[in-house]
Amino acid sequence: MTHKTFFAFIFPSLLAMILFIALPIGSIVVQSLHVEHPRVLVEVENCGPFGCERETRVDTAATQALQEAQPMGQFNGLGTYFDRRHLATEEVSRIFSDNEGVADIARQMYNLPFYKALSFTLVYTFIVTPLGMALGFSIALAVNSIPRFLKGPIIFFSLLPMIVTPLVGSLILFWMINTQGVIGSNLQLLFDDPDLSLRASPLLTWVTLIVYGVWSMAPFSFVVFYAGLQTVPSDTLESAKIDGASRWERIRYVVIPHLIPLATFVALVQLMDNFRVFEPIVGFSAEANATSLSWNIFNDLRGQVDQQYSSAAATSVLTVFGVVVLLMPVLVRLWRDFNRKA
Amino acid sequence: MEQTTVNRRPLLLSTTSSLFLVLWLIVAAFPFLWTVWGSFKVEADFFSRENWQLAITGLNTIGQTGSAFTGDGYQGAWIERDFWKAAWNTVIVTVSVTAISLVLGTLGGYALARSARRYTLWILITALVFRAMPHITLVSGYMLPFFEWNVWGALPTAIIVLVAINQPFALWMLHSFFLSIPKDLDESAMVDGCTRFQAFRQVVIPVMWPGVITTGLFSFLLAYNDFAVTAMLLNQDNQTMVPKIASFLGTVQTEGAVMYAVAAVVSATVPLFMLVMFFQRQIVSGLTAGAVKG
Amino acid sequence: MAEIRLNNVCKRWGKVSGVDNFDLHIKDEEFLVLLGPSGCGKSTTMRMIAGLEDVSSGEIWLGDRMVNKLEPKDRDVSMVFQSYGLYPNMTVYENIRFPIKVRKVPKELHHEQVMKAAEMVDLVDFLHRKPAELSGGQRQRVALGRAIVRKPTVFLMDEPLSNLDAKLRVSTRAEIKNLQFRLKTTTIYVTHDQIEAMTLADRVVVMNLGRIQQIATPTEIYDNPANTFVAGFIGNPAMNLIKGTIESGVFSAENIRIEGLPSQHSGPITLGFRAEDAELKEVQNAINAPVYAMELLGDSSMIALMVGGELINIKAPKDFRAEIGSQVSIGINPSHCHLFDAESGDRLSQDI
Repeated sequence: MTHKTFFAFIFPSLLAMILFIALPIGSIVVQSLHVEHPRVLVEVENCGPFGCERETRVDTAATQALQEAQPMGQFNGLGTYFDRRHLATEEVSRIFSDNEGVADIARQMYNLPFYKALSFTLVYTFIVTPLGMALGFSIALAVNSIPRFLKGPIIFFSLLPMIVTPLVGSLILFWMINTQGVIGSNLQLLFDDPDLSLRASPLLTWVTLIVYGVWSMAPFSFVVFYAGLQTVPSDTLESAKIDGASRWERIRYVVIPHLIPLATFVALVQLMDNFRVFEPIVGFSAEANATSLSWNIFNDLRGQVDQQYSSAAATSVLTVFGVVVLLMPVLVRLWRDFNRKA
Repeated sequence: MEQTTVNRRPLLLSTTSSLFLVLWLIVAAFPFLWTVWGSFKVEADFFSRENWQLAITGLNTIGQTGSAFTGDGYQGAWIERDFWKAAWNTVIVTVSVTAISLVLGTLGGYALARSARRYTLWILITALVFRAMPHITLVSGYMLPFFEWNVWGALPTAIIVLVAINQPFALWMLHSFFLSIPKDLDESAMVDGCTRFQAFRQVVIPVMWPGVITTGLFSFLLAYNDFAVTAMLLNQDNQTMVPKIASFLGTVQTEGAVMYAVAAVVSATVPLFMLVMFFQRQIVSGLTAGAVKG
Repeated sequence: MAEIRLNNVCKRWGKVSGVDNFDLHIKDEEFLVLLGPSGCGKSTTMRMIAGLEDVSSGEIWLGDRMVNKLEPKDRDVSMVFQSYGLYPNMTVYENIRFPIKVRKVPKELHHEQVMKAAEMVDLVDFLHRKPAELSGGQRQRVALGRAIVRKPTVFLMDEPLSNLDAKLRVSTRAEIKNLQFRLKTTTIYVTHDQIEAMTLADRVVVMNLGRIQQIATPTEIYDNPANTFVAGFIGNPAMNLIKGTIESGVFSAENIRIEGLPSQHSGPITLGFRAEDAELKEVQNAINAPVYAMELLGDSSMIALMVGGELINIKAPKDFRAEIGSQVSIGINPSHCHLFDAESGDRLSQDI
């Protein structure tokens, strides 16, 4: 295919990606280096019947004019990155110089919004991914050995948690685990504690969100692993049988090695998806006890009166950085594969 | 499965595995069934302070409406709160996003599958990185320019943004589907007298339908399930279902109309149910196509 | 109807060379076969003629047009692909009609032309079927029919028989030969199967590693291979090649000694002879070696011997029998021997 035809074909798609993915990434970098204009204050003399007094007021017109002249705001360098809402370098160094042991460091760090979000995002990503894959694999093994006519319906119901809108799915679960919902009230009965609420403590909230994550992520692993199980070479399985391998040994030495490439793929996709965890926090109204990087950005942008563009942009840049770090092993491998082929 | 002596599984193993499956099915399906059931009750039953069994018996529902089931939640959400408008917006957004994504994606995916040059790899790698970007980070890049250009809040804006966000995925998936179509096909068409585009249009696309349908399903799901983009980029009038539900959460709880939200949630889930029912095979093949080629 | 000229055509991918300095003149109405092992550049050469690959340097002329920069559709060629490239969504009739349809041949002529082509490839009964409902041989004929539905300058065939079973291959081979004779269209045919090459070709181009090894008629290639590659590639079994030394007309190596060869060469040399050119008889100046293996082929017996460190084949009468390990003596007429340079493998002159 000539360069000309190639670019003719790919141009619309490329243009869309450049305009609405590449440029916004550039745009957040620029925005993160700026900060909103402070309001222009004027001092006016207010004279009334009881004499004059000086008063400071916001000059709306001037603020507006400044805003229009420089819509980005004023240049702030890396200031936003290091402020209290992000990397909080000052606070962190203070915490490390003045603390009462590791637990205290953790507690104090958790009070900083960025680290609070980062810790939950990472914990969520690295717990949900392996658990979801393990659950998915178990389901795949179990489904693989049931009569054919049952497989269709089981796959149908298994797909639901994955396909459902994340916000909707988390709401559905939230209403059930609510103290007034079916699971919540039964848990209260079970533990004989009328005040038990899964939303009360950070730990329980985290556990709830992680359970939701595994619930919604397992189906994907299940489907991929199930498809992989269909392609396990039967010759190898049969020779393993003749060689005297037990059921478990056949899974361990034939099936699992066959599925490893699939597992890497699933792990990659799930890491990417879990890292942007966001909707469940909205659905579970969990922001008091757990926030994520994506949620922080959302929260900055949602402000009705003045949106914190710079703050959102700085968190975004840090998030993008995290994504690239997560993807690094894959990118390196793709690159190496291609060079080996060439 | 034929139960020959060779393939017979120990009783303990098969029982455990069946029990496990039943348990998983309950975990996977029960929340949906429960919520669908509950959406026809009144709040005092579904969110009962005294006894969760009220949701099953529906005592309060009978007391308040005279019958064990009520459509009050649906009526409230769809008519009183204009959920129909959000549903209509969702139809516009998802249909447009799917159609435009497929047009751009098939063209680009075809080019990527048929060119062996080095830059195809770069485009695919870049697409992979873009695919991993949390949508909300991109949204924070749009907000300011969109306000400046005065396009914030309109449906076409959200559509174009969703198309772009969906492109990396569509490119990867269609690219791998095109790779599975033998090159001989377009080459014989070109020798037979077609231009590259005619070969693509008349010969390749007609045999690509399975891939196009599968990719279309996933593009639809992306647009349908999106919250970050639609919640931030659409104004009150143009809201689609998902952000509408989110905005319900803020208002209904205080007004004692949680059942509106429950009804809206169930309404938004029904199309997905149908989708899985009719296209289960394509969804499964789509999920695995990415895995095998990826 | 036209002649084809390839002037120093090269194909490179970065630093890798696929086809190197391919120079060839194909006469009008000629049936030319490109023969070589896989990866030798024969398909690439054909794809460059079709316009499916760019030419890195050199010129391709179809008739009086230089086609280097032309799209495949503008080159007026038709091509049969190895996997046929049939359009699975169209019926046989639509498949055959496709080339004339996209080339905007007047509609009223379509039916007649399609029917004529279908008759020639014997597909009239299958016109309404989809390719998936046809057997391998029928699909192959659809591809042929699609190629002949119009009158192109040149037919290109890329291993068209390799997906057929052995029996069908023989009959289809004959059909292709007959079709080309009737249509008188210049044809270039790519194959790795030397029997196809020998039976079909007016001339054969033997290629290896992107280079032309020999261009000649099938008989010439069989009788006078230009180098050890051609000698070892053509014939079944291939020519026996033995490394040894020659001194004043006498070739010698382990278990072998042949006198009466041309005397102008001396030093290391490769000697070649065909299995059927050896005779089983007690002579002094020939091969004396133990039998390594015996193969009974029905019409003859094949004896394998270890000579000069190589396994060689000797064709013996069908009733010949020998135990493995027993000594046999083989005589070879020096006039049936071929001499090749030990280094380059090129044929050495045989003038005595």
